[in-house]
Amino acid sequence: MTIILGVKDVKKSYRMGKVLVPALRGVSFEVEEGELVTIFGPSGSGKSTLLHLIGCLDRPDEGEILIDGANVLKMSDDELAELRLKKIGFVFQFFNLLPRLTALKNVQLPLTIAGASEGEALEKAEEMLRLVGLEARMNHKPFELSGGEQQRVAIARALINNPKIVLADEPTGNLDTKTGWEIVQLMKELNEKKGQTFVIVTHDPHVAETADRIIHLKDGLVEGIKEAPKRNKP
Amino acid sequence: MKASKILSIAWDNLKQRKLRTSLTTLGVVIGITTIIAIASLGEGFRLEVRQRMEQGFELDVLIVFPGSFTAGLTGGFSQTDVENITKISNITAVTPLITIPTAELYNMTDVKLGAFTVGAVNFTEMKEILPLRFRLLNGTFPQSEENQSIVLGYKASVVNGTIVAGVGDNVSLIVKSSSEYVVYTNNFTVSGVLEKGGTSGITNFDYWSFIPLDTALNMSLINDNPTPYQIILVKVSDPQYAESVAKEIENLFPPYSITVFVPSALMRQVDNILNIVQMFLVAIGSISLLVAGVGIMNIMTVAVMERTREIGILKAIGAKSRTVLGMFLAEAVLVGIIGGFIGAFTGYGLSYGLAQILSNFMQPQRQETVLQAPETQRMQISPVFSPEWTIVAFVFAIIVCIIFGLYPARKAAKLNPVEALRYE
Repeated sequence: MTIILGVKDVKKSYRMGKVLVPALRGVSFEVEEGELVTIFGPSGSGKSTLLHLIGCLDRPDEGEILIDGANVLKMSDDELAELRLKKIGFVFQFFNLLPRLTALKNVQLPLTIAGASEGEALEKAEEMLRLVGLEARMNHKPFELSGGEQQRVAIARALINNPKIVLADEPTGNLDTKTGWEIVQLMKELNEKKGQTFVIVTHDPHVAETADRIIHLKDGLVEGIKEAPKRNKP
Repeated sequence: MKASKILSIAWDNLKQRKLRTSLTTLGVVIGITTIIAIASLGEGFRLEVRQRMEQGFELDVLIVFPGSFTAGLTGGFSQTDVENITKISNITAVTPLITIPTAELYNMTDVKLGAFTVGAVNFTEMKEILPLRFRLLNGTFPQSEENQSIVLGYKASVVNGTIVAGVGDNVSLIVKSSSEYVVYTNNFTVSGVLEKGGTSGITNFDYWSFIPLDTALNMSLINDNPTPYQIILVKVSDPQYAESVAKEIENLFPPYSITVFVPSALMRQVDNILNIVQMFLVAIGSISLLVAGVGIMNIMTVAVMERTREIGILKAIGAKSRTVLGMFLAEAVLVGIIGGFIGAFTGYGLSYGLAQILSNFMQPQRQETVLQAPETQRMQISPVFSPEWTIVAFVFAIIVCIIFGLYPARKAAKLNPVEALRYE
């Protein structure tokens, strides 16, 4: 199995006024291609910081992050943007769809940014929305969709550029239990069907349990990595 | 991301906030309107002034006076001086003029004619040099350059609407000394009356009368003067030679002993002044465009703050900083294009309106003046549509929008995605 994501002794601190608050104090782990991994921990454990670093939205103070073999630390801002565009898909807790655009346009956006033609982007976006089961709501704007539907749109958007890794930051955090569960199942299904690597940050143990592996994070350190035996690999 | 796509996204964003976009654009419209209106009116004004000057002066005729402002306007020219000037190249005609000071003309019933100056000229040469101005209303020019004929200017012949002397009438020419002592008197027959010149300028002959040159040279008060000519008119083959010929004429005489009046140089000077005035006005007008630019900066800075989260999302899904920069700059550019386009139309509209008002202000003054006939005072300024100015104003609008949009756009582009996503 190929290592798609390598995190080596990553440290990151935030400055709060005059105090330097350590968020990550030396985190290391690896994720293989096609895995579904959850990063589990209480709030303040550094989960989101870690996800931002993996997602190339920020740079670590120390340590190495390797995505598909490339060292993030050495990349320019533009190269990071390119990496986010081509290899990473984001799913956020608050969906983060552009409110003025329809579901279809929201899903098209990464392809449009990548410079794809209007026709190609449209075709691909429709395919993605069908994949997440939203073919009937394509031309609705975010405020006309339920939370679960919005998260499905966000997932479709995350998948449209066929990224190597899909990162989800508390994807169920803003949804009721049933809908949240449906979203988790959808991601699991996509992971199995398309073989994309999923890294899900959550503080919900039920969500965490669905993964192949659970990385426990506490006070900025990896407390333990637990293999989930439940999953039957093909 | 494709530039066309960035533009279409920017356009959508502008449409989303119609009122705000309209108000921002209005600032640019006002700025461009001001610039275009001032420029086109200024251009119209300049053309009008130039036309005036062309009516007042023949651009290909130089007027040579004895003396100078520095050394005093005294003395005269000799026949040799005239002949020397004739030798200069690019000259088509030279004619000397004698002005008889303190000359008065009376008709047979002792009514004074409206002539202020009596000149002595070679009629053939005068016709050649000033064909448009030296034209007869009726009668003929004297058949010989030496006889007792006289040609009256229009206002010399007509005083207060009544003809005081016409073709065939006899008039008496009286020259008095400073102590009112009559030094010369003779009778002349009116052979012709000149057309009304009507315009201002040096070569308006309405208040002149002319006798043949040789007749004057034989007068007792002139014939012993070695330098009898007060003015020499020089016609150049093309106005472009006016200044070089003037220089050559000056070189024939000792420094400051003569003055050459070059109408084309004067006109160029006036043109330069008008140009500066126009530039100055446009510069003032441009300030309103700068104010509009500040408005754009203000609105866009607010927009960047409002859309912080959106910018964060765009960056998170892979938009580069320059894409974000492009999106915001495209909005500024679109505002500039739309504002510039509308402003060009309203600018020309405004200039036509202003031209009407200004022209009404410049009604002729209802008084008879010596130099200016009232009918010539009416100014009709028509704005000039200049493609150059339109393009300049349009480009200026876009540049101002880009410059003022750059700060907020850069601010947007530099946003840290993590912080932008956290922004509520």
